[in-house]
Amino acid sequence: MKLTSISLTLKKERSKKYRLIQSLRILSQTIFLFLFFYLLLATHFTGEDYIGSVEIFFHFDPLLALATLIASRAVYISFVFAALTILITFILGRVVCGWVCPLGSVHQFFSFIFKKGKLLKPKDNADNRVAWKYYLLVFILVGTLFSLDLVGIFDPLSLLYRSFSVAVLPALSHGFEATLGLLYQINVAFLADSLNQLFENLTLNSTFRQGFFIGLIFLGLLLLNISKERFWCRYLCPLGAFLGLISRWNILKLKIDEQKCIECQLCNIHCETQASPFPEEKWKSPECVYCFTCSSICPTSAITFPVGSTPESIESVSLTRRKLVFSSLLSVVAVPFFRLTPSQERSSPKLIRPPGALPEAKFLQKCIKCGECMKVCPTNALQPALTETGPEGIWTPVLVPRIGYCEYYCSLCSQVCPTGAIRALTVTEKIKVKIGLAWVNKNRCIPYFLGTPCIVCEEHCPTSPKAIKLIKTEVTRPDGTIKTPAAPVINTDLCIGCGICETKCPVVDKPAIFVTSIGEDRSERNQLLLPLLKEDPEIFE
Amino acid sequence: MRRRDFIKDIALGSLVLNLKPALFAQKNFPNLGLIQGDNPALLTRKAVASLGGIERFVSRGDIVLIKPNIGWDRTPEQAACTNPQVVKTLVELSLEGGAKEVKVIDNPCNQAKRTYLRSGIAEAAKQAGAKVLFPNKHRLKKIPLNGEWLKEWPVFTEFIEVDKMINVPIAKTHSLSRLTLGMKNWLGALGGNRNQLHQSLDQAMIDLAAFFKPCLTLLDAYRILIRNGPQGGRLSDVKLYKTIVAGVDYVAVDALGATFFDIKPHDMPYLRLAHQKGHGEINLDKLNIEKRTV
Repeated sequence: MKLTSISLTLKKERSKKYRLIQSLRILSQTIFLFLFFYLLLATHFTGEDYIGSVEIFFHFDPLLALATLIASRAVYISFVFAALTILITFILGRVVCGWVCPLGSVHQFFSFIFKKGKLLKPKDNADNRVAWKYYLLVFILVGTLFSLDLVGIFDPLSLLYRSFSVAVLPALSHGFEATLGLLYQINVAFLADSLNQLFENLTLNSTFRQGFFIGLIFLGLLLLNISKERFWCRYLCPLGAFLGLISRWNILKLKIDEQKCIECQLCNIHCETQASPFPEEKWKSPECVYCFTCSSICPTSAITFPVGSTPESIESVSLTRRKLVFSSLLSVVAVPFFRLTPSQERSSPKLIRPPGALPEAKFLQKCIKCGECMKVCPTNALQPALTETGPEGIWTPVLVPRIGYCEYYCSLCSQVCPTGAIRALTVTEKIKVKIGLAWVNKNRCIPYFLGTPCIVCEEHCPTSPKAIKLIKTEVTRPDGTIKTPAAPVINTDLCIGCGICETKCPVVDKPAIFVTSIGEDRSERNQLLLPLLKEDPEIFE
Repeated sequence: MRRRDFIKDIALGSLVLNLKPALFAQKNFPNLGLIQGDNPALLTRKAVASLGGIERFVSRGDIVLIKPNIGWDRTPEQAACTNPQVVKTLVELSLEGGAKEVKVIDNPCNQAKRTYLRSGIAEAAKQAGAKVLFPNKHRLKKIPLNGEWLKEWPVFTEFIEVDKMINVPIAKTHSLSRLTLGMKNWLGALGGNRNQLHQSLDQAMIDLAAFFKPCLTLLDAYRILIRNGPQGGRLSDVKLYKTIVAGVDYVAVDALGATFFDIKPHDMPYLRLAHQKGHGEINLDKLNIEKRTV
């Protein structure tokens, strides 16, 4: 058949079977995407002390499993589910990328939108940028050998979850608030009230210091779909690369019926991930995500994926040894650069980790920067780090008491952490964990410098007996008169560093009481007093 | 007028005057009801009954707002928030009294959802048929309070837009006002940087209580927090006191509440001040208190 004979009538010869499979694939993507978002929204305080496995998606991710295993030199049992993903990929190829991965679905959806909007015009110009993701994978894995764990920055699930918990959902919640405000203005208070109560129940955190930048990165990745369909999956995704590497022996291989094929190139043009279906010998099995676009778009039903067919040769992405060595070396060289930070030598005062966080070195080996803890925190206290612990710890969680505090009877962040970077704690265990220590800035504290009563920090201190005690203190006021207000002092033994005093301090800009990381249980070095000098806490009873 | 008629009239008139209290239901209710016993729900019912029943306070078709203390992420046993059974019973009573709608709301210190759920109040009040509302910042409005000190402050408009308000605080210690009872509870109706009110808390409490002026104050002293208030924490901070006080004079309620902590009302600066300014009675011997054990 000649190319010129393609006509609309040929559409009838498209494979019904593969069009059905394609619909099933879209259904599967939709279901998993919804499941992902459902679990995302379910990651909040529901009234129970303990939350179910809302972080389960991460445990099916073999890249996270492998990187965490190597970086921390420890097995984290929840990652057994990743074996299932490996098994599926081994047998069926990268179906997980095409049928399950929520980030893949998001990218495919936006590619679809951009195609419809004529912003993206698919072309058959295969290039070798598909190799990038393999080099990135090598870069990440070589780093983990030196316990430099950067996997969370690039892992698709981490990336999607972080983008949503820190940027997209907060932005939506701001939009929602604005809509509510509008509803009140146009006097439909009844509707607005109900919506507000619903919203309050979801406890969406809306304040994130780096929300803008994390959102910008996510937006940028989405916009890259204008240049190439599923740009991320095609060129960048290290998990895709990993699954590609283990998929080459799978049993689902593409077959083109040469009798039917009219060499129209539609399959190559519309291939989601540049697996180059035509000609058959050039098809790259490790690049195929089994979206079945080629087989369902083929005007003559020439493309099939028969089970068990063994093609003569498997074409892979051409990775040059030179570049593989180069990316490994780059990783090796990068390791010390990531550690030039002073936090290696001395704990940063602002590096207040959530309760249950492992000692800093271990923590950095395990934290995948996914943002689960930031999503579940009921007070919005946990924020993505920027400089507190050096470039290695970017986007790891730090508690910022000026934004929120650690709720005394809450241990949810420790429960949802997918890698155990924050050790799972019961509430009874959690209330004993010190994450820092409060300090009074007497130059700003209202009783200390004005002699005016306040006591707000003491009132909010959740421990019993309270770690903040009030002592009558003689104060010379600015006008020279003398007052003896009750002023706060800290019991260093009782203070757990939850930060509610700093959150609630009525000196609203720079607080008169603040928490620093010293005294945190997880560190041997970051301590104030030797045990010998500790006072008896009973004196504060 | 004949003399006979005149005498008849006088007799009849005096008869009517004599019967007047019964005829016009102008009963002499006690100032305070002080009920003691084991069952918080029953105590609540008896306390309201001692003042003449809910009908005295709630009229048919009223929208009633009940203001408990839901300030802290604590369980009922820890006695930092009002007993959920007390709140529940008040909701039931209000509805029995003919209220069209009962709202329960507070602006907590800890995260709202945690306090509402863990205090048990949200569930209990909902069960009884109340509308339990999280504080909604869109409903904050600067309201002229016309207090001596507080001229205006952001208030949740739910507190303005109801027919009747019932204040149902819990009795706890507090390091600035010594005790937090009924009058302190109104800080929970406010938004803004309300922690600044601590700079002159006594005056703030007086201004707020005078502004909100509940039709009934019911002090929950079933469990009282005798130490480490207003949050407590340990069960040893809690004393099982098994008492509920009801009254219209909110100063008197707090005055009686102070005695549960062995504090004389006159030793409480805010009560002394409130009394001086004529907001209520703190001399317990001048109050008619109905004491009952059930």
